[in-house]
Amino acid sequence: MKDLFLIFKNLTRKPLRLFLTLFATFIAFMIFATLGSFQQALNAGIELSADDRLVSMNKINFTQPLPISYVERIRAVDGVEMVTHLNWFGGYFQEPRNQLGMFAVAPESFLQVYPELLVADDKREAWINNRQGLIAGEAVAKQYGWQEGQRIPINSNIFSKVDGSTVWDFDVVAIYTGADAQTDTNSIYFHYEYFNKTQSFGGDNVGFVAIKSADASQNEAVIAGIDTMFANSPAETETMPEKAFNKAFLDQIGNLGLILTSVVLAAFFVILIIVGNSMILSIRERTAEIGVMKTLGFGSGRIFRMVLAESLLLALIGGALGVLAANLLVAGINQAPVQLPTLVVNGALWLQALVFMLGLGLITGIIPAVNALRLNIITALSRG
Amino acid sequence: MSGFFSQLGTVTKMNLLSLPSRLWMSLAAVFAVAVVVAVLLAFLAMARGFAATLEGTGAEDVAIVTRTGSQAELNSVLSRETVSLISSSPGVAQDGDGNAIVSAELYVVVDGIRRSSQSEANIPLRGLAASGFDLRTGVQITEGRIFEPGRNEIIVGAGVQREFSGFEIGEELRFGKTVWEVVGVFSTNGSAFESELWADATTVQSQFQRGSSFQTVRMRLAELGNVEPIRQYIENDPQLILDVVTEADFFASQGEALSGIAIFGWTLSVVMGLGALAGALNTMYTSVASRVREIATLRAIGFSNSSAFFGTLIESLLLAIIGGAAGACAAWMFFDGFSTSTLGAGFTQVVFTFELTAALFVNGIAVALVIGLIGGIFPAWRAARVPVVTAFQGGE
Repeated sequence: MKDLFLIFKNLTRKPLRLFLTLFATFIAFMIFATLGSFQQALNAGIELSADDRLVSMNKINFTQPLPISYVERIRAVDGVEMVTHLNWFGGYFQEPRNQLGMFAVAPESFLQVYPELLVADDKREAWINNRQGLIAGEAVAKQYGWQEGQRIPINSNIFSKVDGSTVWDFDVVAIYTGADAQTDTNSIYFHYEYFNKTQSFGGDNVGFVAIKSADASQNEAVIAGIDTMFANSPAETETMPEKAFNKAFLDQIGNLGLILTSVVLAAFFVILIIVGNSMILSIRERTAEIGVMKTLGFGSGRIFRMVLAESLLLALIGGALGVLAANLLVAGINQAPVQLPTLVVNGALWLQALVFMLGLGLITGIIPAVNALRLNIITALSRG
Repeated sequence: MSGFFSQLGTVTKMNLLSLPSRLWMSLAAVFAVAVVVAVLLAFLAMARGFAATLEGTGAEDVAIVTRTGSQAELNSVLSRETVSLISSSPGVAQDGDGNAIVSAELYVVVDGIRRSSQSEANIPLRGLAASGFDLRTGVQITEGRIFEPGRNEIIVGAGVQREFSGFEIGEELRFGKTVWEVVGVFSTNGSAFESELWADATTVQSQFQRGSSFQTVRMRLAELGNVEPIRQYIENDPQLILDVVTEADFFASQGEALSGIAIFGWTLSVVMGLGALAGALNTMYTSVASRVREIATLRAIGFSNSSAFFGTLIESLLLAIIGGAAGACAAWMFFDGFSTSTLGAGFTQVVFTFELTAALFVNGIAVALVIGLIGGIFPAWRAARVPVVTAFQGGE
């Protein structure tokens, strides 16, 4: 208890330096937790994808269509439990820069294959029965202020209607939520029937087919079954687990993970050096004092622990404040009207941060602690 | 006044000569500034390189026609009739025989394997005819030969070959059922066209079941930058549901796609800069504290407090400039000319290289100076107010 008091006194003897060191640590951990939540949100698309879900697309590239007849043929493949299909619509709301992740789907089978999108039972029926109805994720609905029951016009930059217009009218039948906090709710889904009947070209095609296999262990067989069936046809398929597809899609943007990790490392490295130096300095200034403490009978081990405890405490306080600030920051970003995945500073991130705080505290404290441990009373007192 | 400067010179010299005794503390501040500047410049160089690639792609004397609202070449569809109608629009330059200089093109997305991650990425395959070459400046076949019309032959942009595997000359590419041979490599002075595969338009139409349709039309403008006659022509014909812009405008707006990265870079470096500022303040306060007796002594023998103030400030600025220059050099060494690719507005990969321009360099140094200034000014204030009596007391 007495040691704790001494540690506290040591920490606070130079309030300005304490503040600056804490602030530097605070900044590093705020960057870490904020970017970490970004990285987790990016990975969530991969991590949260179901193991037993596969996607089948045109082998040339996923922007090339497949004939709609493939859906029924895929349904007949061994190991396939459920099948549904999606078309990228190229939708935007009011202005071209308000791009929407919007797909034409077969509502009933779609909701079965994607059970993580939660729609109330009565709304589900209402959507299936309303051909002009769409369901919008809560994130995108919030971004544009859409309410259930509202009628909204949506443009497509790919498809035009038979009459040449590119504006479709939709009823917002339901706003769906995600089963997990990080489930993507930026997407919009509407009736393939409505789309196929009103568009002016390229009808009876689907963008890609989503498949639920009976069990993840059968994925390989299902992939082989589908791709062999369509080999040497005008539209060959490439089937892969949803996880692999989502990962490849993210990779198209670039190695975001590497960028985020490098930035966090750079921030930590800077803080490590700043804090480390200031710890060494503050212990050196106390050389005479440590000599006195040793003279009074404080054991070397005890002094070693006290110095280390001081640096650990510094890292923990600064770090925890930083992660807390990141929590607030992330909540603010989530409120902002931009299309970003939902950011969460979750337990795993806290745990990781805690490990880094302990690491930072140990590394910055170890040199001064060893110096203090080795300090000879005579030199200490004569130097003072 | 000269007295002030000689005092300042003395104080500055004293500060700098005593730096070695605070070596690690000073290095920490230098290093922190260096990292902040390097991170900022890396992001800015990325955004600049991407924008430069797309800005260098479009020509002022070429118009690009797409279906209304399609925004990207990929999304556009034009029938043969539309193509011939729009080709007879006024405002389009004509060749010696009186034919409009136009190029009707197709834009199909195929897969390429990115060298760095081994994952599939969208590569555009453009179908075009000889006129398409004429409408682009600086097209050069750097290896092999051009494709022959009517054959499944492809030439590969230099950027595609750099970032994606499987596009060497002589290699066969399979797109669905069709097999193509790589017969040449082309460059276009680093523009975004180098991120494309090119083949004969008619062959692409038949091999990708496009019938007689095209996706975009490029036209040489009779008057530099003036698409008005064409716009008028489209408005007067209800059959034409088309957008027309100069190619320069078309690509310039796409170049803004990575401007978010620059904002991210700035936000990040300002936040990191605050951390570095804490380090700089720590260093400079320590510096002042360790020299408090010298400062007081100088004051006692008649030095002004402004010389103590500016001496400290100069020390801080100098450390920051060294850090800024080191960070900028590191960014230049590691990132300038670094080649990569990302998904562009056309939903296909755009290969580009980071560009660390002189203007960006100035940004980096400015950030360093701001850190040095703020990090020095408060400790300098303290130095200027050291009471003379301190000189005669025992240290702190």
